[in-house]
Amino acid sequence: MLERPCIQSRGFKNVESHGKVIGFQVNIRSLYYRGLWLSQLRPATVTVDGETFSGDQITWTINDVTYTQAEMAELGDVHWGLLEPATLTVAKEGGLESGSHEIEVNYTYSCSYFPPVVDTILGGTHKRTLILV
Amino acid sequence: MTNQVGKTKPKRGVSLYSYAGEYGVTMSLEDMFAEMHDMGARGLEILANSHIEGYPNPSEEWLENWDRLIKKYDIVPVEYGHWVDSRLYQGRHLTPEESYEMLVRDFKLANRLGFTVLRTKLGVIDDELTPVENWREFIKLALPMAEKYNVRMCPEIHAPTLLKSKMVDDYVQLIEETGTKHFGLNIDFGVFTTKTIPASEWGPNEFIMPESDHSPVEDIIPLLPYVYCCHAKFVKMSDDFEEMTIPYETIINTLIEHNWDGYMVSEYEGPKKDVPGYAVEQVRKHHVMMKRILGE
Repeated sequence: MLERPCIQSRGFKNVESHGKVIGFQVNIRSLYYRGLWLSQLRPATVTVDGETFSGDQITWTINDVTYTQAEMAELGDVHWGLLEPATLTVAKEGGLESGSHEIEVNYTYSCSYFPPVVDTILGGTHKRTLILV
Repeated sequence: MTNQVGKTKPKRGVSLYSYAGEYGVTMSLEDMFAEMHDMGARGLEILANSHIEGYPNPSEEWLENWDRLIKKYDIVPVEYGHWVDSRLYQGRHLTPEESYEMLVRDFKLANRLGFTVLRTKLGVIDDELTPVENWREFIKLALPMAEKYNVRMCPEIHAPTLLKSKMVDDYVQLIEETGTKHFGLNIDFGVFTTKTIPASEWGPNEFIMPESDHSPVEDIIPLLPYVYCCHAKFVKMSDDFEEMTIPYETIINTLIEHNWDGYMVSEYEGPKKDVPGYAVEQVRKHHVMMKRILGE
């Protein structure tokens, strides 16, 4: 079972590549009642302790496949299911220090059966304090 | 209990949408089936994008587990909720061919899972929920495949839409013009709303349906030949098992009088969906009410 909030505690960690810490990861689950095609999602921003990341600083990993946010806009046949947390990987040299961090994740998505104006309303900002060990 | 034994009657079911606040957090697919089994509510509505793990390509393992659970809990797969996401890509609408492909992908999956009715949600272009301009084109394109896979596409008629409206007339016109048995209607009982609950009962992040006009119950009668499933929408059950906003007794008795024997699937759309156990209790109360009115 997943944790109730959008921002999951499990999975919060730094990411290493070639022996260097290049960023951090946080898992999110969709709070919408139905899964989403990746092209329905609008690019996310992630704010950690007041510093905001966006665009190509963030990738999404869903079912073990990693996507740039630019790629996702064209992927109308890849689906983010409700039981599958998405891993957001944020590029931040040196990563985060051990301890508490204020995390904010913001994204919206289109919903074709609501009036078009709603496409910029559904979704929004999720906040949670997470502890990196 | 005035309803005669043996007369054709509507049947009870549940839309798993009712448990949206619990799914994946406090309840699994099997938990939801077990709830239905407890209530004798055999008819199942799933939302494809929500309840099929790995959608649109579930694994063989998942499919085998599905078959096992359907059998174990004596469930009848009734309605398969799916979407034609017309604004799938930012800045344009899907072409009729793309919409057709999306439909057929769901026909095949619905058929594999045992569903015969589809709640087909179309994209809309305005605040009146007018469907996309090319809907007739891709629905007609898809009719032969709907026949092949034995499914009936049913747009959901949902408030603020009225049963006497251009939208419903247009859908009926398509059915009459083509003579198809593979396109029909899902009526959401919210179209018959007569009362609302106080705004204070809703939480700060919950969506409250704006006030709108509603249809009298008798307006469903001429549509019944085209209605393959109903969403038994409800907002609040009282402790003495009355629904507070929708005239259920009149609705169900009208369905009985006109020999409609499809499934009414409970769709809880009230407050506190995220409070563990709340929606589960509401659905149970809803089935106490429906059983009483049906004379079960």
